[in-house]
Amino acid sequence: MKEEVFDVLIVGSGASGGAVAYSLCKAGYKVAVLEKGRLIRRNEFSKDEIAYVRRDIITPSLFEEYHTIEEKREGEWVTTPTYESGWSFWNGNIVGGSSNLMSGMLHRMHPDDFRLKSKYGAIEGANIVDWPISYADLEPYYTKVEALIGISGHFEPHPFEPPRSTNNFTQPPTKENAVVKLLDKSCKKLGIKSLVTPRAILSRDSADRHACYYSNFCGSYGCSSGAKGSAREALIKPALATGNLTLMSNTHVKQLYAGSKDNVDYALVIDTVTGKERKIGARVFVVAAQAHESARLLLNSANKFHPDGLANSSGEVGKNLIFSAGGSGQGELHQGFLKEIGFEELMQTGYFVNRSILDWYFVDHWWDGKFKGGSVEFMFEHQNIISRALKHTQEGEHLLWGNALADKVVECFTKQKSLRFEVFNDWLPHDNCFVSLDPNHKDKYGMPVGKLRIAGHPHDLKVGRYIAQKCEKILEEMGAKNIYSSISAVPPQNLIAGGCRFGKDPHTSVLNTECRAHDVKNLYVADASFMPTGGSVPYTWTIYANALRVADHILQALKTL
Amino acid sequence: MMQRRDFLILGSIFGLSSALKSEVSTPLTHHFTEVKTTIAAVQEHMFPEGTKLPSAKTMLATEFLFETIFHRSYDKDIRSFVIEGAKELQRREKGKFTSMREEEKEKALRAYEESYYGSNWLSRIMILTMEGVFGDPVYGSNIKESGWQALHSFGGQPRPKSRYIAL
Repeated sequence: MKEEVFDVLIVGSGASGGAVAYSLCKAGYKVAVLEKGRLIRRNEFSKDEIAYVRRDIITPSLFEEYHTIEEKREGEWVTTPTYESGWSFWNGNIVGGSSNLMSGMLHRMHPDDFRLKSKYGAIEGANIVDWPISYADLEPYYTKVEALIGISGHFEPHPFEPPRSTNNFTQPPTKENAVVKLLDKSCKKLGIKSLVTPRAILSRDSADRHACYYSNFCGSYGCSSGAKGSAREALIKPALATGNLTLMSNTHVKQLYAGSKDNVDYALVIDTVTGKERKIGARVFVVAAQAHESARLLLNSANKFHPDGLANSSGEVGKNLIFSAGGSGQGELHQGFLKEIGFEELMQTGYFVNRSILDWYFVDHWWDGKFKGGSVEFMFEHQNIISRALKHTQEGEHLLWGNALADKVVECFTKQKSLRFEVFNDWLPHDNCFVSLDPNHKDKYGMPVGKLRIAGHPHDLKVGRYIAQKCEKILEEMGAKNIYSSISAVPPQNLIAGGCRFGKDPHTSVLNTECRAHDVKNLYVADASFMPTGGSVPYTWTIYANALRVADHILQALKTL
Repeated sequence: MMQRRDFLILGSIFGLSSALKSEVSTPLTHHFTEVKTTIAAVQEHMFPEGTKLPSAKTMLATEFLFETIFHRSYDKDIRSFVIEGAKELQRREKGKFTSMREEEKEKALRAYEESYYGSNWLSRIMILTMEGVFGDPVYGSNIKESGWQALHSFGGQPRPKSRYIAL
């Protein structure tokens, strides 16, 4: 028996689940948000490096819930469970999801990102397709996100900056470390335009959310002032205030049950604390569990009506997984070797670097050629004290200890500061990057775990190296020492998309342009799964914007369902 | 990618021995008691008195290590590895490690570091000591923020009121 029936049931409380819940609750519908993790409130967060970073305590134990990762080694595909490798693919399993833990450096995708194939043509070995919608369709939602989530920044015209329907951001940028003077001047000397990074962090108070207090520990941690535009602060809390939202934390969805060809009837859920199972019904079901887990849920929901998995008549569920990636690099700014700024200013903690570069988003150069490039973010090395100290324990093949260790660690913390850059370029979708069900491994709930085959496309590495070399030149100009960069096909596990492509053709896509399953009329996938290509920026702003677009379509559908 | 179990087992005389795994017959905490002074001696050799960093002894680094590896959030295999690695060191040095002079300890640890297994074990002790010395004082080490003061770097606000987000 179904205990409860809602208008809409949403699986996942992160950026996309929160956005859909917000819109539907505001419109008066009764919504249930099911989140496998617990609720941590604003005043319960702390900057506890041991708990949040060293033990990653807000994700499941890998011995109980895990993935298996398939990588090519010496020509063979080798599968490793993440409890063996320690390479966790869980992200912030708490109410609000990983948006609680982001650094909030956000960008809109460029209009040409929506028509990558038309603009740049096919690339061998890559499954590039144009999106079935255009930038113009998403622009109003990008704008809505700026106000709703709270994105601070300063718009400056740039050839590769997407057009916008408002003049500027609703909040000025967050405070900046003096290093931006040196960075801006160095870029200018090299003929590069540095731009202010839009950041999902409030620089001024807004309603019951307080401005950033510059704690120096932002990414990887929850925000204690409400400044960070997490789904929990910006969407779930106002949704709860409507009285229409039932938030079920510690509730893991094992399966969606469709008792016919085209309709989901209920979610089979388990209370992660008591282990008690129950069924929850709804008129509309929205999957928003993060790309790899959303595909897994659909595949685990196979039954006689859907033998290959829910919404999978195309066979495309789980295919063309992509990541928001590129590479990174850094250099050290040393006391006594600084230009433009004083060492004390550099060592001031908490303020942001707030600089990004879009100059190489599209490359059309007489020598380098014409290709889609990417974006760059500059930031300080993360301030985590334990993690930073541990980087200095090795000399050659030996561990340092005693006086040698103490001298080196103290020197590295007090006489220098490292500036990092991160490159974001397209992770081309291809046949060897997908998620399926592992036939040999089950989680503690008895459900097959997701098996991720991961490989990068050689073109991505080429683009990443091209941009990283440009960034190294900037660090050189700044006078940085020990500059290096690392470009590899190892993906970040916190920015995942694809797996349920949207498109017009039910034979080649899982979702229609509204992100409703082609096969099942009351099933939507609202997270980043829909993205056939991901642009060359972090996905987060696009995830928020698209989920608000999907919510508008659900509102229309609810009138007839 | 390095397989976690590889470095936990490879090169050890004991492996992840059944004695350690069968917690029913002998609690793992009992095994820890047998190696506690050895681990403390290694930590004190890595973080001695008189350097620019606070010493392992004054930071109660061994108590921190014990409480950390026996917390439920800690990888159970690495928990066993920490104890096994100390037993291996005791065996190599015929039970005399803790009573050695500092130069002899240095020689013994550098020799242990030559092995793949020993090198990984020493790295683990280093990590577990640094987590204490530079972690939040609520975990019982980094007393009076001495570790942070040495680096002129301090944990962010708000600080945790309890360990492991025990809400």
